[in-house]
Amino acid sequence: MSNVAIFEQRAADTIAAESPLHYSLHRHAVSAQGADPKEGSAVAMDERAFLGHLIVRGTAGVLRAAIKQVVGIALPETACGLNVEGGKSIQWLSPDEWLVILPPGEEFATENALRQALGDNAYAVVNVSGGQTVLTLSGPSAHEVLMKSTPCDVHPHAFPVGRGVSTVFAKTTVLLRRPDAKHWELVIRRSFADYLYRWLLDAGEEYGITTKHTENKDNNNE
Amino acid sequence: MNQVNRLAKGGRIDRGRPLTFSFNGQTCHGYTGDTLASALLANGVDIVNRSFKYSRPRGIVAAGAEEPNAIMQLGATEATQVPNVRATQQALFDGLCARSTNPHSGLLSTIGELFSPMIPPGFYYKTFMAPASMWMTYEKLIRKAAGLGRSPREIDPDHYEHSKQHCDVLVIGAGPAGLAAALAAGRSGARVILCDEQEELGGSLLCSREMLDGKQASVWVAAVVAELAGMDNVLLLPRTTANGLHDHQFVTLYERRTEHLGDRAPEVNGQQLARACMYHVRAAQIVLATGAHERPLVYAKNDVPGNLLAGAVSTYIRRYGVVPGKRLVVSTCHDDGYRAALDWAEAGHEVVAIVDARERADGHWIEMARAQGLNIIMGSAVIEAKGKNRVTGARIASIDVARFQTTGPASELSCDTIASSGGFSPVVHLSSHTNSRPVWREDILGFVPAELPGLTPVGGACGVYALGDVLKGGAEAGAEAAIGCGDTSASIDLPDVERLKTGEALGLYQVPHEKPTLRAPKQFVDLQNDVTAAAIELATREGFEAIEHVKRYTALGFGTDQGKLGNINGMAIAARCLNQTIADTGTTIFRPNYTPVGFGAIAGRHRRDLFDPERYTALHEWHRARGAKFEDVGQWKRPWYFPSNNEETMHDAVVRECRAVREKVGMLDASTLGKIDIQGKDVREFLGRIYTNGWEKLAVGKARYGLMCKDDGMVMDDGVTTCLADNHFLMTTTTGGAARVLEWLELWHQTEWPELDVSFTSVTDHWATMVITGPEARRLLAEVTDIDLDRDSFRFMDWRVGMVAGVPARVYRISFTGELSYEVNVQAHYAMHVCKTLFQHGDKYGLTPYGTETMHVLRAEKGFIIVGQETDGSVTPEDLGMQWCVGYNKPFSWIGKRSLTRPDTCREDRKQMVGLKPLDEMVVLQEGAQIVFDPQQPIPMTMVGHVTSSYYSPTLNHGFALALVKGGQKRIGERVYCPMTGGVTHAAEIVSPIFYDPKGERQNV
Repeated sequence: MSNVAIFEQRAADTIAAESPLHYSLHRHAVSAQGADPKEGSAVAMDERAFLGHLIVRGTAGVLRAAIKQVVGIALPETACGLNVEGGKSIQWLSPDEWLVILPPGEEFATENALRQALGDNAYAVVNVSGGQTVLTLSGPSAHEVLMKSTPCDVHPHAFPVGRGVSTVFAKTTVLLRRPDAKHWELVIRRSFADYLYRWLLDAGEEYGITTKHTENKDNNNE
Repeated sequence: MNQVNRLAKGGRIDRGRPLTFSFNGQTCHGYTGDTLASALLANGVDIVNRSFKYSRPRGIVAAGAEEPNAIMQLGATEATQVPNVRATQQALFDGLCARSTNPHSGLLSTIGELFSPMIPPGFYYKTFMAPASMWMTYEKLIRKAAGLGRSPREIDPDHYEHSKQHCDVLVIGAGPAGLAAALAAGRSGARVILCDEQEELGGSLLCSREMLDGKQASVWVAAVVAELAGMDNVLLLPRTTANGLHDHQFVTLYERRTEHLGDRAPEVNGQQLARACMYHVRAAQIVLATGAHERPLVYAKNDVPGNLLAGAVSTYIRRYGVVPGKRLVVSTCHDDGYRAALDWAEAGHEVVAIVDARERADGHWIEMARAQGLNIIMGSAVIEAKGKNRVTGARIASIDVARFQTTGPASELSCDTIASSGGFSPVVHLSSHTNSRPVWREDILGFVPAELPGLTPVGGACGVYALGDVLKGGAEAGAEAAIGCGDTSASIDLPDVERLKTGEALGLYQVPHEKPTLRAPKQFVDLQNDVTAAAIELATREGFEAIEHVKRYTALGFGTDQGKLGNINGMAIAARCLNQTIADTGTTIFRPNYTPVGFGAIAGRHRRDLFDPERYTALHEWHRARGAKFEDVGQWKRPWYFPSNNEETMHDAVVRECRAVREKVGMLDASTLGKIDIQGKDVREFLGRIYTNGWEKLAVGKARYGLMCKDDGMVMDDGVTTCLADNHFLMTTTTGGAARVLEWLELWHQTEWPELDVSFTSVTDHWATMVITGPEARRLLAEVTDIDLDRDSFRFMDWRVGMVAGVPARVYRISFTGELSYEVNVQAHYAMHVCKTLFQHGDKYGLTPYGTETMHVLRAEKGFIIVGQETDGSVTPEDLGMQWCVGYNKPFSWIGKRSLTRPDTCREDRKQMVGLKPLDEMVVLQEGAQIVFDPQQPIPMTMVGHVTSSYYSPTLNHGFALALVKGGQKRIGERVYCPMTGGVTHAAEIVSPIFYDPKGERQNV
């Protein structure tokens, strides 16, 4: 919908920014901040901080072409679909709601371009970058940690690569996604981030869980 | 103690690994592979407990989960106490420390004996009924005498795990049927979970007399278990009880991971293991292979130690190498009862007699017993056990089962053990957890599970007992359950089993005595709850004919026992007394849990600081560093107040914070308020229908306070909503109401007004909100922003975009304190930077952080409500005196409008919000205090309202309160009273709820 009041909300790089897990990582880090996580650890946890997060609402018919044109990824139109490409992703959240995750700093330009492409149709785009963060879990025991935490079936048959769901996790909710065969992603809300982080450390202790914090744009493309 | 009853060889115990344990303070010995029960029997311990109600000495009866007597309190230290452990299910470990839950205390036993005549059947039922005042007295006595263990008084040092599992086939029970089912399903490639409550998988095969492929059955078990363990798609869970079965094949499994290893969970590689794990399993198909419980016969004094189940005798001999006595009498009415005698004789002990209630029998086991020359007495039964602390003899007599009477004189056999068996009852417990009633089958003399979707009972659980049929049925059910999950061509070769000749069983439950049931010595039906046959007969005589009533009258099948041994006998006795069939009588519903579950496993990792989520704002660390005390608001941790030097009292801190805001400038973290971004062409229209007030004319750039009602006309939430652009609004909600309001908006949009173009997105976590409020707010903000703060261009209830401390921000001139206020909103990543910058500039203006308590005082001075404090779901906007916020003439109706015209919501004497000023200015009324008009009225006084908010105001220098008072808005100036506990009565004057700056001039400066 046009006729909205949006503005670039990201400050200059010189301004100190703190991700939702900034203090959690300092307080409870298992491997020293900046150091590489322990080689061969059965579970590794990595925050992908400061990415651009946009909620896009509308019907698939309205959004399909514009999303493809602006984001460069097809809109996943089946339930729980997740399309990932070139450091960007789009996740189906509900029949008229998607989450677009972008490299840091691209959210405002993308929102503007989407609004340009969508014109006067009925839709909404909302920047929620400050309110959530992405946590990746990897390693051979990652799915054991997930099984302690969520009633969602994370067996590879039931949860293939390219699936993303909104589900109960410990006593809160997360978006749980499988962008590739090696990683699980949790999109978590800022206010619940410390709780979830402590939960994961506790649940992952027996597997020697390690932590890491990634702010570098390039790391999102690995 | 010595292992006087231990055989020199045989059994699955390891005599090379001896263990020491203590029972009621006495040192005992056993071997690896023992259960606590088998070790106690090996040590010759007869009495393991005193009974629940009559305090009678009790011994071990069974060898599995159905054990009613050997209920133990475990734990070597206070912190590791575990109540209600069945000794038959507890593996022995070195240093195990066990006590009877109802120990051999002379005092308790005296109470039991003394009160025995005073505790007739129906005692519990009657004490519940009348008189109520006596219950408090009974309760103490009952709880003390009940003896079902106690919780630890110290914090449990162990941790517990949860795991959510999904599978195609869940097989419950790893006896012959379950193993065959799991093997068939596993080979097909399906995701399989096989659980069994015992230490070892194998069930009855671990000590069976029967051979598979000509070898001991345990050889086949080992091969199958090894194959299953090698399959990636199979999860094997020994020591795991399926304790509850719920709708849609949701099953909870309770795995005791380390309780066989020690008092505390051990450490492995520096990691302390989880003591237990609760699996939450969602299974597409369940194969119920829970087997059958042997049914004891009900005869006089059948509770004296030395009375055991025949099958348990066999298990103790064959699996544990323990013969629990010297001279055995067997009382039975079917072929399988003979196995105990054969095992006893093979162990080299004396079988005094096998007493069979049938007229004739010629099955395989009978022939074997005859061949060994055992003494078999047909047409008779043990009618009474002799002895007190241990069986000393058995009185036997010929009986007529159909007429329920003895037919000849009784004779006494000298013995120390009586093994009884009335047949088998399928373990249907799990199948009835979802409230389905088991069905009686006369051909097998037992209840079987009712048909349930996704549940297939196999083997003993559905009354199939011949080993060959059990294996075949299990394999078929396993293959069937796995259909559609993988390779259907996989099959299993079942081992060869010799088909044994069996005779027909006789339906015998209660054995007739020479005396009528009510006069005969006690014939126990439910040993754990001390329910006798006489009690059931009495219940039916008193008119309790429905089986559920009989249960509640007698306590049959109550509590942790859930009727494992007694229920079917109880039903049969009720049926006999009511002169009807067992099928007509039916059974009660067995409930979860199958056996007790530790609280730790239920809690899992949700404990201590992970018990509940703590939600933090982006400024949480700043608050901590400033020494904030936190208040829980929903799951949020909000700063409550900021004591200076960490030693200031709350009162002093709040006074200081209030003064700072009224005189200088304060800062509040308001990030927790719910924020909903609303876009679309029809937002104005939508808001007009949701809020009570009008939104048509709200200009771009302006904000407005709104009140939201539920359809009953009662206030549900409030907040300020801002028009950002014609098609773009930002709604704020209360902190606790954020999720509820978003759901409410979606509900009305999706179900009632889908034609409106609006969409909602929560941005609560995205924006951090800092309130800068007080007379110096403008001068402070001006130092760090490029926004023009001129009072005539950026007015009250306006908003602007600009840079604040170098960060793009939206600034709203909204005031919840009544002072000049700016609410600075930035993307939450930058909140800390903005906050620190403000305080770098704020010292010279006296910038003071304040918390929710000061916020409450300041808003109450202004008469601003807090939803949930001034309202409780029964308060309308009119009750709050907020008619100014109700658009009575809006073109489209709004939610709650119609309800405001109901006679009840129009009443003049509704409770209305007013201010209260205590006559004694130093008094702060208690929030929640009841209000009366006439303090002299005798109790019960007429209550006319209550205090909703009450504080001391440092600005006004007196206590003040907001309250709901009947007809209060017309009573300004009148006096009301709050009678307090302790006899003090506070008087107060009804005043306007706006105590400070009634014209609202200060927020407009």
